Amino acid sequence: MTTVLAPVEGAAVGLAAVPDPVFSAGMVGPGTAIDPLREPGMAVAPIAGKIMKLHPHAYVIVGDDGRGVLVHLGIDTVQLKGEGFTLLAAEGDRVRAGQPVVAWDPSVVEAGGRSPVCPVVALDAVAGSVWGVAAGTVHVGDELFRWH
Amino acid sequence: MPERKVTVVAEVGLHARPAATFVRAATKAPMDVTVAKVPGGDPINAKSILQILALDVRQDETIVIKAEGKGADEVLDELAKIAGSP
Repeated sequence: MTTVLAPVEGAAVGLAAVPDPVFSAGMVGPGTAIDPLREPGMAVAPIAGKIMKLHPHAYVIVGDDGRGVLVHLGIDTVQLKGEGFTLLAAEGDRVRAGQPVVAWDPSVVEAGGRSPVCPVVALDAVAGSVWGVAAGTVHVGDELFRWH
Repeated sequence: MPERKVTVVAEVGLHARPAATFVRAATKAPMDVTVAKVPGGDPINAKSILQILALDVRQDETIVIKAEGKGADEVLDELAKIAGSP
């Protein structure tokens, strides 16, 4: 079982609240989304493992068991081409759960007309394998959901 | 083995949105489906969103999609259409 931690502080709102049908319909995978506090902050690794992919606006951490978790910082933020995001780690790095990966400011993303909501998704998870999904206020490093 | 070569034209490459659409279509196929970058990339499982994101196909890169068996051509046509969409 994998315990997935909140990568950012805010309100756990569920994937259905994500203004992107690919996430809200669960096409990327099950999980939840966090509507982040509108202040500068650091997005952290939701699990321990290796940074398999690191983009300024999104990253995938793969645990030693081969399970991958995607953190997407805001919606359509690929269009920002990294502006407003600072990498705090490198692709291929091993990170502990809770280790900072990207610094960003959700209020800047929002001011640019995009949603700063952050999907946190279990990749290749089979239906029904994600449970115990947090709702409401979460702090960085709080348990967000469990993945069997 | 039937295959399709496609150059990804989407500015974001084969990432979250196109990647999820691609994997969903591949997952419906009854046979194994692989994707590799050309030239010379190692084939990965087209039904795994994790492996597709790891492949990290960017704009203007070319991939080869392969599948074998009954209905493979239809599967490949659909996947090639998704991967080649702007």
